[in-house]
Amino acid sequence: MSKLKLASYWGSACGGCDVAILDIHEKIVDLANAADIVFWPIAVDFKYSDLEAYEDGYIDVCLFHGAVRNSENEHIAKLLRQKSKVMVAFGACAITGGIPGLANFKKKEDIFARAYFDTPSTQNKGKVLPTTVLQMPEGEIDIPEFYKDVKCLADVIDVEFYMPGCPPTSEQIWNVVLAIVTGQLPPVGSFVGCEDRALCNTCGRTKTDKKVKKFYRPHEILVDPDSCLLEQGLVCMGPVTRAGCGNQCTGANTPCSGCYGPLSGVVDVGAKFIGALASVVDTDSPEEADKIISDVLDPAGTFYRYALPGSLLRRAK
Amino acid sequence: MRKITIDPITRLEGHGKINIFLNDAGGVENVYFAIPELRGFEKFCEGRPADQVPQIVSRICGV
Repeated sequence: MSKLKLASYWGSACGGCDVAILDIHEKIVDLANAADIVFWPIAVDFKYSDLEAYEDGYIDVCLFHGAVRNSENEHIAKLLRQKSKVMVAFGACAITGGIPGLANFKKKEDIFARAYFDTPSTQNKGKVLPTTVLQMPEGEIDIPEFYKDVKCLADVIDVEFYMPGCPPTSEQIWNVVLAIVTGQLPPVGSFVGCEDRALCNTCGRTKTDKKVKKFYRPHEILVDPDSCLLEQGLVCMGPVTRAGCGNQCTGANTPCSGCYGPLSGVVDVGAKFIGALASVVDTDSPEEADKIISDVLDPAGTFYRYALPGSLLRRAK
Repeated sequence: MRKITIDPITRLEGHGKINIFLNDAGGVENVYFAIPELRGFEKFCEGRPADQVPQIVSRICGV
């Protein structure tokens, strides 16, 4: 049997997923023994022309990080789909849009105006905006089209597996690599490298009655290291977030911000979390409930931090 | 005029490509470096609570 062929690519991403892969440290040598890396821009010098030259299905598994922000992201996603037997949406951006997906709260024109006209470090007296094709004296040069909306990977291609996290932890990445190498991947459509239960189930903090009279911002409260953060009035997304991260944030007295994404079956994470919050507010009076909930600043940006393009809401008007 | 395109630039964080234009003698006439990506952190951080911003902008570059 020939060696496995792996690819890793980023769309609209930060490179944190790639670094999480590298953070398997010396096991990368074992990975290199089991598989050939045939495309991985952050680490290996293959060009798009190399990718185009591969036969269809040449790549066994492609790990795709990043959201689909522009036409290049979509084009390469489709090219990798054609060349890969198995496609993994790797990390929050690829699955639900991630942090770049917060741009769906804004309009393309306003993003351009801020980035190219208004930032204090920008000098652009001619008000020049990027165009996809630019005629220079020597010839034509081009850049991709910036889309109106951020999309998820599964919006543009078929995806076999989903690996959540911002980024996925290196331990979970190694587990998934082992599953790939030994051919023990679960049924198509599965989430891998995580658990099918809420973060609260893996959180060691003491939970009693959830009766919240006031929500706090992190600097407004001295956090008790042993009891439930949500019960203390911190906006913790644990009840609606998939477990598997090893409770890194809650273990460090920091509320979960939801990077492992919504649980199976949740269509809209924000709506689900609003329901969870409503159930912990300790009052029978609608006016007092309004007052308590109004302590939560920027609820949309907080509840959809990693998941706006992948939610029912998808974008702000 | 001949054009050589290096796409993508590899082994760094982010997307980039280089267009090199060669004159008839085969010498380099001009080179253009293109950054074919924008995410818009400048805009979408607006309105977010200050205590959330460090968690958001740490995703500008994760390398």
